[in-house]
Amino acid sequence: MRPFVQTPVQADKPPMDYETLRDVIDLSLWAGQLLLQHGAESQQVEETVHQLGTGLGCNWLDIFVSPNALVVTAISNGEFRTKVRRVINIGVNLQVVVEVDALVQRVLVGKLDRFELRTELERVCRFEPGYGRWTVALMVGAACAAFSRLFGGDWVIFGITFLAATIAMLLRQELHKRHLNTFLTVVITAFTASAIASSSALLHLGGQPQLALTAAVLLLVPGVPLINSIQDLLKGYMITGIARGVTGGVIAACIALGLLLAISLLKVNVL
Amino acid sequence: MTVLELLNFSIQDVLWSGIAALGFAILFNVPRRLLAGCFLSGAIGHTLRTMLMNAGASVEFSTLIGAVAVGFVSVNLSNRYSVPASIFTVTGAIPLVPGVFAYQTIVVLLSATSAPGDQSVELLAAAGINGVRTALVLSAIAFGITAPTLIFRRSHPSV
Repeated sequence: MRPFVQTPVQADKPPMDYETLRDVIDLSLWAGQLLLQHGAESQQVEETVHQLGTGLGCNWLDIFVSPNALVVTAISNGEFRTKVRRVINIGVNLQVVVEVDALVQRVLVGKLDRFELRTELERVCRFEPGYGRWTVALMVGAACAAFSRLFGGDWVIFGITFLAATIAMLLRQELHKRHLNTFLTVVITAFTASAIASSSALLHLGGQPQLALTAAVLLLVPGVPLINSIQDLLKGYMITGIARGVTGGVIAACIALGLLLAISLLKVNVL
Repeated sequence: MTVLELLNFSIQDVLWSGIAALGFAILFNVPRRLLAGCFLSGAIGHTLRTMLMNAGASVEFSTLIGAVAVGFVSVNLSNRYSVPASIFTVTGAIPLVPGVFAYQTIVVLLSATSAPGDQSVELLAAAGINGVRTALVLSAIAFGITAPTLIFRRSHPSV
């Protein structure tokens, strides 16, 4: 396990001037915001902000992580300044989490100053896509189809699940691009996935039609919010933990709604 | 079950659970160099769970052990690649998600509302049992993958 970096209060740090302190607070909050928006747990957010601030010259930082804002007070040589940054929940992008973490490591060993850090954060914020949309859709389809095999489905179910999940994922990407409300996107995507997967039951294809329905909607599973929720709760970040748990629960309810709409409209026998 | 059958079964389990973890890693935009680690952590957790369940353990207990394995494998991988462990725990936990139980819960719950009186009670009970099982498996996943951090990272917090 990577060592837990301890940053004692260092009174011997040189006092920072007005401009520098402002810049350092801005950069630390920016990095924290990126993490909070893209699926990092609260402890990692707090540590990142703290380590960047102290690594760049502050004596101490007090950080409050809430679900939709970050508050930080930075202290340098007796002077302190506080700033709030609004955080909007965008979605999971673990590449951002990996890159920001690498930047923190470089700052801590003194290989990155605040000017270079700003350039690097601007690069991270360009969000260069790692995978094309078809790669994502096909791989997500394959993942859901793999689930149908794990649940004990045959190859026909595998094919239907693959088709349903891939088409649903492509639709989800389109809706996301058009900035439709997250929860509405989930309902529509779950509806589409289960409507296509219902063909198994309606046309009597494959042995266990309910498995196609089960596996096809799994692409929407709120895994990151739920896992982060428990991690936050166990580590004492109650507010973010509760907020993330509720988000995950609402997404799960939206999946159920889309699925139930599809099977009751198409009158599928699903038991 | 003969040894050959068991081997075939395990290889299938490794393959499909690995692909499930891999697909979600790509959905979450995990950098390419870490994808092999995501496959590994997903495959180890789920295969261990399947083996324990074949040996007669309950699904909840097997999930807990599988998730603990995901947690430890992820810590190992995170040291190796020098990235946060959460990259591997989040993707590795995906194959353990109790999809069938969750599905049964909501579908049975829906059919209970339209079923004739004497059957609806039975259906409601079935939905309740599946719901409890879903919740237990989910908490087993969450506690399991957090276990290494909770057990070994007890140092005084820096913040």
